[in-house]
Amino acid sequence: MGRYIVRRLLLNLLVLWIVATLVFFAVRLLKGDYVNERLGANLELSANNPVAIKQARHELGLDEPKWQQYFTYLGQLATGNLGKSFETRRSTWTELGERVPFTLELGTLIALLSFGVAIPVGIISAVRQDTWADYVLRGFSILSVATPVFFIAIVMTFFTLKYHLFTIEIVKSPHFWTDPKAAFFKYLIPAIAGGIAGGAGIMRLLRSQMLEVLRMDYVRTARAKGIAPNGVILRHALKNAMIPVLTVMGLTVSGIIGGQIILENMFGIRGVGNYLLYTITNRDYPPFQGTVIIIAFVVVTVNLLVDIMYAWFDPRIRYT
Amino acid sequence: MAMARSEAAAALPEVIPASARDRPAGRRALVRTARFMRKRKLGAFGVVLVIVVLVAAILSPLLQRYDDNRQFLARNPNYQAAPSGGGSVLAQLQAGKTANDVSEFVTERFQSPNGTHWLGTDAFGRDIYARIIVGARLAALIGIFASLIAVTTGTVCGVVSGYFGGLIDLFFQRVVDGVQAFPALVLLLLIVQVFKTPPLWLTIAALGFLGWATSVRVVRSAVLSIRQQPFIEAARSCGATDIRLMLAHVLPNVVAVILILFSIGIGAYILAEAALSFLGLGPQGVTTWGKMVEAGRNGLDLHPWESLFSGAAITVAVLGFNLAGDALRDELDPRLRGR
Repeated sequence: MGRYIVRRLLLNLLVLWIVATLVFFAVRLLKGDYVNERLGANLELSANNPVAIKQARHELGLDEPKWQQYFTYLGQLATGNLGKSFETRRSTWTELGERVPFTLELGTLIALLSFGVAIPVGIISAVRQDTWADYVLRGFSILSVATPVFFIAIVMTFFTLKYHLFTIEIVKSPHFWTDPKAAFFKYLIPAIAGGIAGGAGIMRLLRSQMLEVLRMDYVRTARAKGIAPNGVILRHALKNAMIPVLTVMGLTVSGIIGGQIILENMFGIRGVGNYLLYTITNRDYPPFQGTVIIIAFVVVTVNLLVDIMYAWFDPRIRYT
Repeated sequence: MAMARSEAAAALPEVIPASARDRPAGRRALVRTARFMRKRKLGAFGVVLVIVVLVAAILSPLLQRYDDNRQFLARNPNYQAAPSGGGSVLAQLQAGKTANDVSEFVTERFQSPNGTHWLGTDAFGRDIYARIIVGARLAALIGIFASLIAVTTGTVCGVVSGYFGGLIDLFFQRVVDGVQAFPALVLLLLIVQVFKTPPLWLTIAALGFLGWATSVRVVRSAVLSIRQQPFIEAARSCGATDIRLMLAHVLPNVVAVILILFSIGIGAYILAEAALSFLGLGPQGVTTWGKMVEAGRNGLDLHPWESLFSGAAITVAVLGFNLAGDALRDELDPRLRGR
């Protein structure tokens, strides 16, 4: 196990290097850079003043050859330095530190809602196969998988507006620990929309896995031994049905940390997803690259954790 | 002769109904389809939805009734013709008239569904029904072609990676890991923004690239299990080259996986394109459902029709392709469930 983890960590390092390289060259392939996207909008600096533009590029280090920028960047990465934002001249870590709480707030709510609803619902749907409860729950999940998350949010917004249910405070960006009531209403729609979108797939997968497992001989044996029905379902069946579901749950967690770009954008939540969108539109390379690398780091780490958890759920799985 | 034939038929196992044995191939396919529709009702429902979307896409010029960009105008009841000689709109506005009075026509915007405009009109007085029909063409085009690109490139890389193993495999798998470690939408944003105004083909290519990673992974794992089979060993000992082994022996055995990947992917690409369009980064110069949902968000409580109908169109199309794809997967290879 130890050797396996070390090998996986080394491979993850390789993957992170690939991501770092991809994102570095991808942003530089885009049309325009920070100077003409942002400063160029300023008339004084645009075409009239090539000297100022050149100087701005020089100050940001954009006039160096690409490979030289690349190696500087790799060197910084190796020491954990994600560079400074062109716009605010603050370090990417500081900028992210302000955004992560918003994403975590929304993300925790989405995770709680989607896992908390999908797992019991998936179990009920499988145990009561082909009853009306199963049909309703399945129909709902099939429909939710096919619906874009922003459309779920729009339908909910429509009813909120139509019947004046509540108002949403966006400008002040409340946190749960500063203004719980305002925060609750602000996150209500995006959390439910994200929860439905995230939970539907998990529920469907868990149901089909449970159905398969419930037909296994060892489940019948457990029942024959006289174990309480709920014990059979939870301890014997669920534990085995969870293995493929874990992979999907891992992906959901990664997605949450990567920021719900669309939901954050729709509801004016100043989280990581919105920051990614903002920095890439302004061609603010360093914080964009840094954020993508941090997200990739989380994704590969979560994947590794999921693989390690497999072994806990199914002791037959051994890693060497 | 006839007797010999029925004897041979009798020797067949009983699972095939007697009537099915002597049928020509075309009829057999028909019977199989009918049985598929009966056995997999959800799948059949999905197929019906897919056919609806495809018919709308292919026959859109016949079905859309109006041009999707035509602005409907109505005569302005408040319009007062300018006094002769006292001319320009600007002069009239300066003379104290409001904008409502000086234009002869106004757009028929934000109409609710009615006889002329079945689904109402949008902010520019364009017919929502016509735009949804045209959007179906875009959705079908994007979904199918993105999936085609993802599956063909993914199959090539997956077969090569799984068949040769070693360093080639290590390389491909790490690139796949790298691509999958990106948040999907960010990757799409990056590719699409190479041009200031992303053309349609670039959106399709970007979606295809995203799907490439998944396809490589799935095809590779299928190839890995085929590679161990004795018939590969046998073919190799007969002197088959690597190319021949891959094309004639490995590839035909992963066709089911490829078909499943293709059909299940379509819905996902339609969703991803809708998300891109919703963020304002979709293909330029065409009408897409995602853009319509976004455009309808202003004043949602007063005139929700554009958002609601176009969002529902996305759901119907994706639902159709998903259900049809799921049924095909269950039919071809139930073990792939949940991948």
